[in-house]
Amino acid sequence: MRNYDLITPEGTKDLLLEECIIRRNIESSLRSIFKSGGYNEMITPGLEFYDVFNLNSRYFPQKNLYKLTDSKGRLLVLRPDSTMPIARVVATRLKDALLPLKLCYNQTVYRTEPALKGRSDEIAQAGIELIGSQLKIADLEVISTAVSALKSFGMKFSLELGHIGIFKELVSRLEISDAQKEEIRQLIEAKNFPALNDLLDTLGNSFVTNALKVLPGLFGGIEVFDKAQQLMPDEKIKAILDELKAIYCDASEICGDDGEITVDLGLVNKTDYYTGIIIKGYLQGHGREVISGGRYDKLISEFGYDVPAVGFAVNIDAVAKVIAKSGVPVEMPCADVIIFAEAGSEVSAIKKAQELRSEGLTVENAMFEDIDTVREYAKEKRIPKIIIVDDENDNKTEVLA
Amino acid sequence: MSKPIRIALTKGRLEKDTVGLLEKTGFDCTAVREKGRKLILPVPDANLEVVLAKANDVITYVEHGVCDLGVVGKDTIMEMNGKFFELVDLGFGKCKFALAAKKGTDFYSGYGIKTIATKYPNVARSFFETKNMDTEIIKIEGSVELAPLLELADGIVDIVETGTTLKENGLEVIEDVAPISARLIANTVSLKLRHQEIEKLIKLIEENL
Repeated sequence: MRNYDLITPEGTKDLLLEECIIRRNIESSLRSIFKSGGYNEMITPGLEFYDVFNLNSRYFPQKNLYKLTDSKGRLLVLRPDSTMPIARVVATRLKDALLPLKLCYNQTVYRTEPALKGRSDEIAQAGIELIGSQLKIADLEVISTAVSALKSFGMKFSLELGHIGIFKELVSRLEISDAQKEEIRQLIEAKNFPALNDLLDTLGNSFVTNALKVLPGLFGGIEVFDKAQQLMPDEKIKAILDELKAIYCDASEICGDDGEITVDLGLVNKTDYYTGIIIKGYLQGHGREVISGGRYDKLISEFGYDVPAVGFAVNIDAVAKVIAKSGVPVEMPCADVIIFAEAGSEVSAIKKAQELRSEGLTVENAMFEDIDTVREYAKEKRIPKIIIVDDENDNKTEVLA
Repeated sequence: MSKPIRIALTKGRLEKDTVGLLEKTGFDCTAVREKGRKLILPVPDANLEVVLAKANDVITYVEHGVCDLGVVGKDTIMEMNGKFFELVDLGFGKCKFALAAKKGTDFYSGYGIKTIATKYPNVARSFFETKNMDTEIIKIEGSVELAPLLELADGIVDIVETGTTLKENGLEVIEDVAPISARLIANTVSLKLRHQEIEKLIKLIEENL
C-alpha cells in the first residue's frame, strides 16, 4: 500500500515564509479595518451539523461539502461558509443583543472543488456581517468597508454593485415553473445571450421577456441606469433602480480615484440568499472575484429570528496570489542580533537576549559551539550584529559589514 | 497601447473559422496564418494576442483569467461546465450531440439498464438524468461507433455532423441530444475590467457573422 505521509491532500497547501507573511499581512490589515469600524471578531467551529447548511435557501450543493459523522452517527460538515454559522449564532445566543450587531471573522472554509483545476478546497476568508439595519446607510457602510479593504491591497481594483430585486421582480411576472426560473437565472448569470434568447422566445414577446433578454448586458458605469430605465418602464423596477443608483453615486464619491465602482444588473448569483444589493470586488490579474457579498434579509429568519443583514467576504488566498504575482518585495523578518555564549556563560547569554528583546529587538541565541560558525550563519541570515557573552571577560560586540 | 486582449482559439477547424472571421472584420492575421510552431501570436491592429490550445484547455485558460476570451465548441462547454460568460453563438462549427444505436433496434424497449459508450460522459449522464433513466456509462477515447458493434454498449452519445460514419457502420440516430456550434466565451472578471475593448470587439464580430 502506498503511504501518503509526505504530501498534503489535493486542494490544500502548506504556506511557508513569504507566502505566510503575505497572508498574515492581508489578514492583519483587514482585521484592523474591520476593528476600526466597530466590528467584533468571532470564531465559529470548523465542524457544523449538515442541517445548518441545508435550509430552504440551500446555496451549498450537497456534493460540494466535506462530510463526516459524529460519534452518534449524525451528519457533520466542514464549514463551507461563515455567514450561515454566524446567522445561527445571531438567531440563538445573540437573539437579545442590542442591534445593530457588527460582527467580523477570519477563518478558513472548505468546499470540494473539481480535481486538477488548480483550485483550493481550503480557502481563507475574512469578512463582516452588519445585522439589524435595513437602512441605506447600512448598505453604504458595508460598501465603504469593502472599498477600504480593496484599497488596502495597494492595487487597481473595481467594486461592482447589483440588485437581485430586478431579476426577482421580472421573473415573478412570468407564469413559469421554478425549474424554468432557475434555468433563466443560470443563463443570465452566464451571460449566455444565445440560449437566453431562445428560451425567452418560447415564453412570448412581452416587456418582461424583452427586459430579461437585455439584463445580462446591462453592466458598466452610470449610463447603465438610463438604459435600464428605458428598457424597463415599470414603477416597481424604477424604485429599485433609483435605490441602486443612489447607492452607486454615493459609493463612487466614497471610493474616489483609487478604484472604480461599476454596476451589473445581471448579477443574479445566490438568488435564494440575497434579497437586495449584491457586491463583487475585482483585482486586475485574478480571474475571479476577490470580494463577494450583499444583503440577505431573510437568511437569519430561517434560523427563527427575523432580522435583516448585509455583509461581504474577502477571499484572502486569491488576494495573496495576486500580491505574490505582482512582484512587490515581501519584507522577510530578520534578527537584529545573534548572541553567542562562551562555555559556562549560557545563563548570562539568555538573560542578555531577554533584556534586548524587551527593548524591542529581535534576538537569536546562537546554536553553535564555535564563533566561526556563528559568523558564517549570521552572514548567511543577514544578521548585522553578534554579541559574545563571556562571564570571565567583558562581552564583545561584532558588527558585520 | 494597453496590454493586448488574449483570445484562446481551439486548434483546428474552429481556429481557421475564427481567423477567417477576424480577417473579415478587417484585422491583419498574417502572423496567425504563418504561425509555424508558435502558440502565442499577435494580431497587432486589433490589439489581440491569439493563443492556440486544445478545446478543454481553452476553457481552463479562460476560467483562470490568463486568457480573456476564448472560442470553443458548445460540445466542450457542455462536457466541461465551469464559470465563465458564454457571450456569442458564432454560428460556425455546427453539428449536434445525438444518441445512436444499431439500426433497427428499439433502444428504449425493455427494463434492462442500457450501456452507453461515449467520449462525453457528463453530457450523456445529464441527458439520461433528464429522462430519469439509469444507465451505465463507459468512457471511450477513440471511435465510439465501435462499442455497439463489439456489443460493449447498447448505444452511443456522440457528435454527429453528416451521419455518414454512423451509416457506414450500421448505426442510426435514435434521438438528438443538443445542437452544437462555436461559442465566444469570456472570463468573468476580464469582461468587467476591459468592458469597452471587449464590447467593441464583440460588436465587430457580430456584424461580420
